[in-house]
Amino acid sequence: MGIDRRDVIKFIVGGAVGSTLTPIPWKLTDDISIWTQNWPWIPTNIGGKNEYTPTVSKLCPSNSGMLLRTVSGRPVRPQGDPDSPLSGGKISSLAAAEAQMLYSPSRVRRPLRKTSDGTYKAVSWAEAEAILSEKLGNATGGVGVISGDENGSMNEVLSALAAGFGSDDCHFMPGSAQAEAVAYNQLMGGEGQPAYDFEKADYVLAIGADVLESWGPVVATRRAYADMRPHGEDPKSTWVYAGAFQTNTAAGADRFVAMRPGAQVALALGVANLLIKEGASATGLSGFASLAAQYTPEKVAEVAGVSPDALQEIAKGLASAQKPLVVVGAEGNEGGSTAAAIAGIACNMLLGSFKAVPYPRTVVQGAMGRGDMLAKDVASYVAGFKGGKAPEVLITYQANPVYALPGSIKTKEAFENVSFKVCFTTYLSETALASDLILPVPHSLEMVDDVATPYGYGKALYAVARPLVPTLVDAKHPGDFLLGLGAKLGKDLGFASYQKVLEAKARAMGANWADVSRGTVYVSDSQASTYGVRVDADAVAKAAAVVEVADLTLCPVMKLNFGTANCGIPPFNLNTIRGDELDSDYLYAHLNASTAKSKGVAQGDVVRISSAAGTVMAKVNIFEGVMDGVVAIPKNFGHTAFDEFTRGKGDNVSALFAVASEPGTQASVWTGQAVELKRA
Amino acid sequence: MEAHKQSQVKAEAGSRNPIVGALPFFFGLALSLAMGWWVFPDSLFSKEPQPINFSHKVHIENVGMECSSCHYFREDGSFNGFPTTQECAECHMEAMDWSKDEVAFVRDYVELDREVDWKVYQYQPDNVFFTHAAHSMDNCGMCHDITEAELCSYGGCHPNMAETDKAPPVKTNRITGYSKDTMKMWQCEKCHTLPEHYEMTGSAKGQACFSCHK
Repeated sequence: MGIDRRDVIKFIVGGAVGSTLTPIPWKLTDDISIWTQNWPWIPTNIGGKNEYTPTVSKLCPSNSGMLLRTVSGRPVRPQGDPDSPLSGGKISSLAAAEAQMLYSPSRVRRPLRKTSDGTYKAVSWAEAEAILSEKLGNATGGVGVISGDENGSMNEVLSALAAGFGSDDCHFMPGSAQAEAVAYNQLMGGEGQPAYDFEKADYVLAIGADVLESWGPVVATRRAYADMRPHGEDPKSTWVYAGAFQTNTAAGADRFVAMRPGAQVALALGVANLLIKEGASATGLSGFASLAAQYTPEKVAEVAGVSPDALQEIAKGLASAQKPLVVVGAEGNEGGSTAAAIAGIACNMLLGSFKAVPYPRTVVQGAMGRGDMLAKDVASYVAGFKGGKAPEVLITYQANPVYALPGSIKTKEAFENVSFKVCFTTYLSETALASDLILPVPHSLEMVDDVATPYGYGKALYAVARPLVPTLVDAKHPGDFLLGLGAKLGKDLGFASYQKVLEAKARAMGANWADVSRGTVYVSDSQASTYGVRVDADAVAKAAAVVEVADLTLCPVMKLNFGTANCGIPPFNLNTIRGDELDSDYLYAHLNASTAKSKGVAQGDVVRISSAAGTVMAKVNIFEGVMDGVVAIPKNFGHTAFDEFTRGKGDNVSALFAVASEPGTQASVWTGQAVELKRA
Repeated sequence: MEAHKQSQVKAEAGSRNPIVGALPFFFGLALSLAMGWWVFPDSLFSKEPQPINFSHKVHIENVGMECSSCHYFREDGSFNGFPTTQECAECHMEAMDWSKDEVAFVRDYVELDREVDWKVYQYQPDNVFFTHAAHSMDNCGMCHDITEAELCSYGGCHPNMAETDKAPPVKTNRITGYSKDTMKMWQCEKCHTLPEHYEMTGSAKGQACFSCHK
């Protein structure tokens, strides 16, 4: 019996029928469908042990204490450190994005040098050092420094190096600490940094200072706010916010009192007047009482727009509190009035709640102290570049003056007068792109750095950020680089490495290096003497006299989730920008309905807002949380540098800031800016 | 001639026999069934032995340990998975019973301070969020009177390792790359869709996509 064609067909049919009765077709179909979802480029999780390492954020201006969660050594997410007084277990939106920012496409990956055709060419660190050595060696015209890190010891290395070239032109970027530093240290005869004890305060009056969002050590302040107001229980503290816009602080406060931008000095004087009437007094305030007496509730209502009843109620609340606190700050955290800072300190003196902590002692020989650097006026300094006062070499460190300095001085043009600019930066900012040499700084999770007594905190404090992950790019620690460079140029600063500087700093602060380098935060009870502090009533009077009521006043708004001038907008935070804050390419300018009507504009209209300094474009958002006659615009938009997550979103409100010299104090101010608004 | 006709008639009669005629069909049927039920399931998976043999039986029955003695939750609530060599060395710094496997472990891992590259029987796909904490004795044990070993193998989550003396090889699907013991969605649903679990899973939300797919 042979096998014919028919037998083969029968065999195949039998096999086919049989296979349908087996798992083969069904299992293969299932597995193939799974396989199609399993392409190799789909990211896969890598398991491993979670570790939580304490450190402190250097990306966020609030210097949040945080625990960096790593899995098998890979950074995953920073979270609040319950043991850090700068955190209390909470974290800011910016610090939360810190691990993500390690991988930002805008990170500077290697040293870059600008070529003659304006493009950038990668150079080695040895070449970069040779270029900078030559420029510094020939810098007969002086060396200038602009730093964007107010609380770190890098400023000592920078200022000591500049001092080696005979320069004391070392500046901080504008911030809320500056007006107070000039007020207290230069005009009031004080020595140290005003300190604010939010943890114990039972009545807080924030005059323009957005203390629950962007002013000072926000996370620590929010923790203090929450601790005094436990959920479901009667609050143990009262918070009042006086400002023109319903900021997060206004939203969290028990009372939001509408106050015109730039009227801080008038309101503080009005409060002082009522306190003095209630019998409050303090030494050093001779002449102040007669000045304050002019600021009756009616006068304050006229200048600041605060109703007499509200003022009376605030003064009553402060006078009856056990531990009251007055905090004066500028809208948008910069360009604030020095006279307002004096008046705020005077209020705290009258309330018996003023205290100061010593500035961190310098450890690098020849370095400038923080107080001296804060007193330097960076706006005037950079404006002077066009008048023949440009340094030969300008060093910018984690600062973005080209983007963030007041627009009236046309910083980018001013920069062109500096023959050589070197930019130490982690991200490719506007200032980096205006510089001749760009030197990458490791991300703050990749390098050792410190935070010494951040502005606004109530006590002297020292915390260290450690390198927790390997450096992803070809960056060098700027401290080590500059210490080595200084030694080669014959300007030995006395330290072999930046870590040695920090060890000395820890000793100077009274901290144990072994402890702080493991993440423990050192807190000291030491206080600066306030003996002999006095108020120059004439200076305050001159400054207060010029506060005018404009037809439309600008109120810049700073929120940490919008990023900072130095780091741009973290992608992590893009989803937290609301639809009424940014609409595709336009940011929103907030006006209340009454103001919008008087300007003839409606919701969504594109408008041109201009000042003596510049112009920005925005869409109108009708919002009743804005005072009459005020337009509120968010800061930190309108970048032209960084990456796709930051670039080209909205407009830069700094363009509207016109710098004025404050009568009496001669400080640069740019709050309370009069602006015009027209439909575009 | 007559004889030839007779044989032709016989042959035609034989080819029409339905049983004989269907033999090739049944042969093909039997072969594919055998292939499909015995050969295919085995050949679909590659087999990889553990780098070193580990007897769960010895540790559970002889020493009285529990699953969670080694596969424990860390302080932060995350699941430790495999113990490290250092953790094993807390008992096995030196060989205790001098079995071949134990001697090899001490020699090749403890003394060299090397981690064992244990093969995982069932990693869940990356699009699945699975937490051991929610499926622990603290939760499941509230209603089910079962041992840890029973819990771990309950519903087919894990192969029941508690009674194994020799660690079975890890079988990996040659097409998908997943291990043979990786749970399928229907296995998860067996428990998640039970109304009597609503109290533990927060009402019917336990069935929602986001309860497993974050």
